[in-house]
Formats: sequence, C-alpha cells, structure tokens
Amino acid sequence: MDMNEIKEIFFQECEEQLAELESGLLKLNDGDRDPETVNAVFRAVHSIKGGAGAFGLDDLVSFAHVFETTLDCVRSNKLEPTQDVLKVMLKSADVLADLTNAARDGGSVDEARSRTLIRELEALANGETPAAAEAPAAKPAAAAPKAAAPAPVVEKPVVNDEGFQPIPFSFGDFDDEPAGHYVPTVQVVFKPKKDLYAKGNEAVLLLRDVSRLGDMSVYCDMDSLPTLDKMNPEEAYFSWKISVTSEKGEDGVRSVFEFAEWDCDLDINTIEEDVVGEVTEDEEQPMQPVPFDLSMLDEGGSAGNDEPAVMESDAAAAVAAAETATKVAQAASRAADNKAASAAASAASAAQANQAAAAGQTIRVDLDRVDRLINLVGELVINQAMLSQSVVENDANGTSSINMGLEELQQLTREIQDSVMAIRAQPVKPVFQRMARTVREIADITGKSVRLITEGENTEVDKTVIDKLAEPLTHMIRNAVDHGLEMPEKREALGKNPEGTVRLTAKHRSGRIVIELADDGAGINREKVRQKAIDNDLIAADANLSDEEIDNLIFHAGFSTADKVSDLSGRGVGMDVVKRSIQALGGRISISSKPGQGSVFTMSLPLTLAVLDGMVVTVAGQTLVVPLTAIVETLQPEASAIHSFGASQRLISIRNSFCPLVDVGRILNFRATQANPMDGVALLVESEGGGQRALMVDAIQGQRQVVIKSLEANYTHVPGIAAATILGDGRVALILDVDAVVAASRGQSLRQDISLAATG
Amino acid sequence: MASKKAAQKSLSLAPVLDLNEATALHKQLMGLKGNPLVIDASAVERVGALCAQVLMAGAKSWEEDRQSFTFGKVSDPFMKTMQLIGVNIDHLLAQEIRQ
Repeated sequence: MDMNEIKEIFFQECEEQLAELESGLLKLNDGDRDPETVNAVFRAVHSIKGGAGAFGLDDLVSFAHVFETTLDCVRSNKLEPTQDVLKVMLKSADVLADLTNAARDGGSVDEARSRTLIRELEALANGETPAAAEAPAAKPAAAAPKAAAPAPVVEKPVVNDEGFQPIPFSFGDFDDEPAGHYVPTVQVVFKPKKDLYAKGNEAVLLLRDVSRLGDMSVYCDMDSLPTLDKMNPEEAYFSWKISVTSEKGEDGVRSVFEFAEWDCDLDINTIEEDVVGEVTEDEEQPMQPVPFDLSMLDEGGSAGNDEPAVMESDAAAAVAAAETATKVAQAASRAADNKAASAAASAASAAQANQAAAAGQTIRVDLDRVDRLINLVGELVINQAMLSQSVVENDANGTSSINMGLEELQQLTREIQDSVMAIRAQPVKPVFQRMARTVREIADITGKSVRLITEGENTEVDKTVIDKLAEPLTHMIRNAVDHGLEMPEKREALGKNPEGTVRLTAKHRSGRIVIELADDGAGINREKVRQKAIDNDLIAADANLSDEEIDNLIFHAGFSTADKVSDLSGRGVGMDVVKRSIQALGGRISISSKPGQGSVFTMSLPLTLAVLDGMVVTVAGQTLVVPLTAIVETLQPEASAIHSFGASQRLISIRNSFCPLVDVGRILNFRATQANPMDGVALLVESEGGGQRALMVDAIQGQRQVVIKSLEANYTHVPGIAAATILGDGRVALILDVDAVVAASRGQSLRQDISLAATG
Repeated sequence: MASKKAAQKSLSLAPVLDLNEATALHKQLMGLKGNPLVIDASAVERVGALCAQVLMAGAKSWEEDRQSFTFGKVSDPFMKTMQLIGVNIDHLLAQEIRQ
C-alpha cells in the first residue's frame, strides 16, 4: 500500500469522522449531555488531527488542534456546551470539512473565516464567552486561494506543539554513559472498560504486545472480581499494573494501546532509573515475570507439538511474521489514523490474531466497479429474457428440462439483481447532514434563526439518486430559509416562535422514496407570484388560476419573487432547475402552501434508476410497460359498468364507486378516437396526488422485470413516458409515466412547457 | 456435609476461549456449581481476558463453597497466557502437574 492509497483512506475516514462530528455536535445542541457524545466528538477531531499530522497537512492540524483543545474543555466540564458555544463549534466543524476538502482537492478555504473561528475557539478555551454578535463570516471575496496540499512531507515536522510525528528520543543527556545502558522503565496502569471487549479488543493481545517491547512484569488486580453468580461474563473486572523496560520507552508503550485508549483507563509513566528499584520494591503485590516465548499465543503457534525442534522453528517464523505485521501496522498508524492502520494491518497480518475481527465488517469498493456490475447484470437480465423467449418460440412442445433450467436461471438472475441493487442502496443520511450545514450558513447570513429537523435519515435509496439529490435539496433549503421563513422579529410579532423550523423528511411509499421539505414560514405569497407571472408574460393578466396553479408557477424558468437578488437564492434559476433535476431522476415535485403557515415541497423519486417491475401491455399496437407499483388491480370492463360523463369523459363503476376511465392510447396520441372500453382491459392505478384512475389499455401481455434505459440520455424527454426498456425480442418498449398520464387526463395537457401541473 | 459428598465433575475447555466464549463458559460453570471440579485445559490454544475472568470468578466461588476447583491438565498456551496476564493459577494446579 503506497502513501497515496493510505492518504485516500485517510480522507475517506475523515469524511466519516466529520459526519460523526457533526451528528455529535447536533446531539449536544439538542441538549444531549452524555459524556460519550462529547467523547465521540472529541475523538473525531482527534483522529482527523492525527492523520493530518502524518501527512503534513499543517493548516488542518493547527485548526483541528485549536478545535480539539476547546472540545477538551467541554469534555472536562470546564466549558458548558451552551447554544452559543455549539454555534461556534458547528461552524468550526464546517471549516474543518472545508480544510479537509481543500487538502484533498486543492480547493481554497476562507482563511478569514477560519482565523475568526480559531480566535473564537481559543477564547472559549480560555473561559471567555463568545461574542454575541458575529460579523457574517462568509464573504467570498475574502477567500484567499490556498495552495494545494503538499504531497506527504517526511522531513518537515508538524508545527504543532502536540505533533503526531514520532518524536525522536534524545539520548544527549546520557552521553557520558555507554550507549544502550539506559533503558527507560515504563509503568502502566491499564484498566479496561467493558467497551474494550465489546469492540473486539483483547486485553491479552495488548499485554502480549507490551511484553514484546522489552522485559515486562505484570500484576493483575482481581479485587473487583465478584463470584461467579454475581458476575457479568462480558464486564471488565481485571486491571493490570505493568512495568516494562524497553528501548522504545513511553511512546512505544503508548502505541500499543493506541487502538484501545478510548476504552480503558490508562496511565503511562516513565520512571526515573534510580527510582525503578524503589518503586518495584514498594509494590506490595509481587509482579509476575512474563514468559519469554509468547509465540504460542500467535495464531500460527501450534499447541501440543511433540517435536520440540519443529515447534521452535514454527515459533520463530510466527514471531518474525508477527513482528513484520506489527511494524507494518505501526508504520501505517503513524501515517494514517487508527482505522486506516487497522485496514493496513489486517491485510498484512495473519499473525495478528483477534484484532482483525474488530475491523473487516465492510469493504470499500470503487463506485465504478459497482456501476459496471450493475450494467452487466442489466444486460444479463435482458439476455435471459431474450433466451427464454427464443426457447419458447422455437420449441413449441417445451422440453421440460430446458424450461426448468430457464426458470432457475430467471430466479438466479433476479436474485443477483436484487443483491447488486442492495449494494447500491445507501441511507440518505449524508445528504441530510450536508443540509444541516446549508441551513446554518444561510441562517447566519440572513440573520434568521432556524432549526432543521430531519426524519427518516436511514431511509435507503440508490446511490445515484442520493448523489443527484444534494443539489436540488440545497436549492430548496436555501429558498425555504431565505424566502420562506420570516425574520425573527416578524415571527415574534405574528405570535410564532422566533426560531423558524425547517423539516426534512424521507420515507418509503409504494416503491418510491418521498422526501418532504416543510417550513413554518409565511407560505407562498400568491398575489405576488401572480403579479410576477403577469409581468414576465408567463400568464395572461386575466388568467383564472387556482391556488395550486399559482403555486406551481414558481417552477417556471426565470421566476423569482425575491425583490432583490441575494447571494443565496433568487437568481431566478432556482426552482425550475430543481424541478428539472428531480425530473431527470424520474421523480416529481409538488408544492402545497398555506399562507402564514408555511410551504411543503414533496419530492417523490424512484428507489432505483436501474430496474423496474412492470406490466407489459399493448396500446394501439404499441408495447408499453406500466410500473407495477402503480397498479392496484386489473379488470375487464363490462358494458353495464361504463357510464358516459360530459362530452367525452367516461366513468367506470367499480364496486359501487365511480372512477374516471382514461384511454392511454388517446392521451398519448396513439390514436385519434377513443377505443371501445369493452375491447380492452382497465388497470386501476393509484396516482401520486391521491385518487384512483382506471387506465384503459388494449391487452395485457404479461408481467416482468425490465431494465430501465433513460430516454432523456438516449433520445429526448417524451411527455407521458418515464423511460424505455429493451424487451426479450430486442424491441424497445416505452415505460409509462402513470402520474403524468393521470394528470393529463384531468384536462391538463401533456406538453410540458405550458403545463402548470404539479406533476412532471 | 452433603455438599462434600457431591460427585466430582469435570469440564473440558474449548480450544478457543475468546471474547465470544465468555458467556458460554460462564453458563457451563454455573451449571457445575456445588460440585468439586476438575478442569481440563489441555486443549486450549487461545484464551482471552474475559474467559480468564470467568475462570477466576469460578475459582473464587468454589472457594466460598469450600469445594475443590483444580486444573487437571493445562496446555502450554493456557499457562503462558495466564502468566502473561499476571494471573497466578499455581495453587489451582493439580498436584501431579505442579512443579
């Protein structure tokens, strides 16, 4: 593993740590005072600092150091984590993220901002209260370009008083004495906590590693050990007093406990040479000297071997292997942080027994590889469909063994596909977490006080959807805070909580993911929207629009109701861009707004962009696929159930209720006149906006899983059509956009450019 | 005393006594309480701190019950690990293997 790979791992770890940091800070912000939360936050910053130090990322280290110092004050209860303190900390977390990104991609950071924060953090650490009013920090002009992070610098020591570079031990003071005479003796009090074991760490292995450093004697304190019936077998009762004489000194001992230091009480001290004797003598309990050959404890060690010679060579090999592994692990741990090291170590060390068990639950895979796999599986599905079709066509009497084989193949393909899709499914949490930052920054600039509440963060959705979700969401959040929420004074005057609330929710609903963004602001000012639309010639001055139609005007290009164009939003590219990106994902966006109470934007997106269970139907000689998730039931209409309604509308009565009958062929302009309902089949569908419709098609061909091929990417957007697919016979079939068709049936045109419909 | 007449039981330890094994070992020992016990640790290849704790807690309980608790046979790795972690089991070793 070369340095760049380790560095890449470090940055990946940083991302995780930053997420951890932010969620921890937010918990604290919500009043969580669990010391473990504070610890987690501290740990995150500490790890980032540690890794950054090894790569010579000085900016990152110095900022993380100040941050860490302040967090330490919180940890040791010297600093009360009030809202004001946390505000500074959350901003610091943002800057830390910026610095990390800058170090990775060579971007620039707002130095003025980080300097301000460093001052604030230092002030907090010194026990001063933060300045109540802070100047808005983010001024893009002030952003000084920062040089890209240098490649790993080896010689250059970290300019930090608590550097993470190994500090060379100076023997200068002992020049008079023969070299190697003085070997420091280190005393360790090691008291594991329950977590140490729960995380798969093994005290025995730690002690073994210490014993490898040099001469070790150990005393095991069993005083707290209860009797068998009163004990919890997974609790930590033993604690150890260790004395080890090693060239590697205190640092060497510390590095052994590096992985475990959070889960144990640890006290490591070097004792002066002349005191060594006294201390050990003062020790009331006799320490047990440790056996010299510990190779038995390694995985490779063979127990009960009758042949001593063989055993010895085995043991020697095992020791050598373990040493190499330890060296690799140590080198790596200096280079990257804990977890990176354990990844490096687990690759290298079969000899490092149990420790690997703690890691190795997940693997990191290049997204490209997964994408390639998914593509291939998609092709496999199509191919398999083609194969079964040609078998059916060529072999009318159907040899049962071939058919059985085909069925099994189909099942397997299906399973492979599901598993591959599961690889791509990710919780929306990271995107939501990014939104928290957006909210903070905009709240800061606009001088509004905003609280972001997120729900359903663990809702899983395909990675491509997640990646493309961030941008439209950011736009919408900006809008919600900038335009939606009122200023605190105004809110107070209206009898609302001066702190505005933005609620971001994700949930699964009928095979799609629904993301809702609700604010409790003023709602859409319909009069203003209408006027603006008239001014911009979007609608006629005397147009009679429903409230819903007015609300949907904001999705039009070139529309912004903000009187002045601010930095954040209101450049008039906002909502139409949002709508287009959501549509590109095969999603829909709708809005509902109540004056004085706020607006709710609802986005509904497909869970995956790759496959779909569909019903293959024929309409006017064309083959279409209707997403199965939309279909409630299918039925054969009877003449008595069909009722005419108005000039051209028809209703179908289903179990004593009426449901509009929609001729799909007519809506999509496949035919000029309405077909006879008795000749076709009705598909009862549930539409996004609620309510059922009966879609009329000519015939049902069957039900199958289809691989979605984007129509936009390969051709162009077709109203009423969501995407396309390739059928078993190699023909292209169109996938119906049920909601668009349903909306069109309400008398609204399918043509997008003049559509005022909420659906896309 | 009735308990003195209780039959001597024996327990053979599994080769790997790692973190996952502690609860099971605890259960096994609890089931043997009240009887003199001889533990066979000759197959042990690896023993972790949690299992060592359980064994020592067992020794303590047996002592309270005034029952004998001995290690009949021990493997080399078992002895060495115990030594490594500073747990002295010399007094618990069966006479014949004491040196």
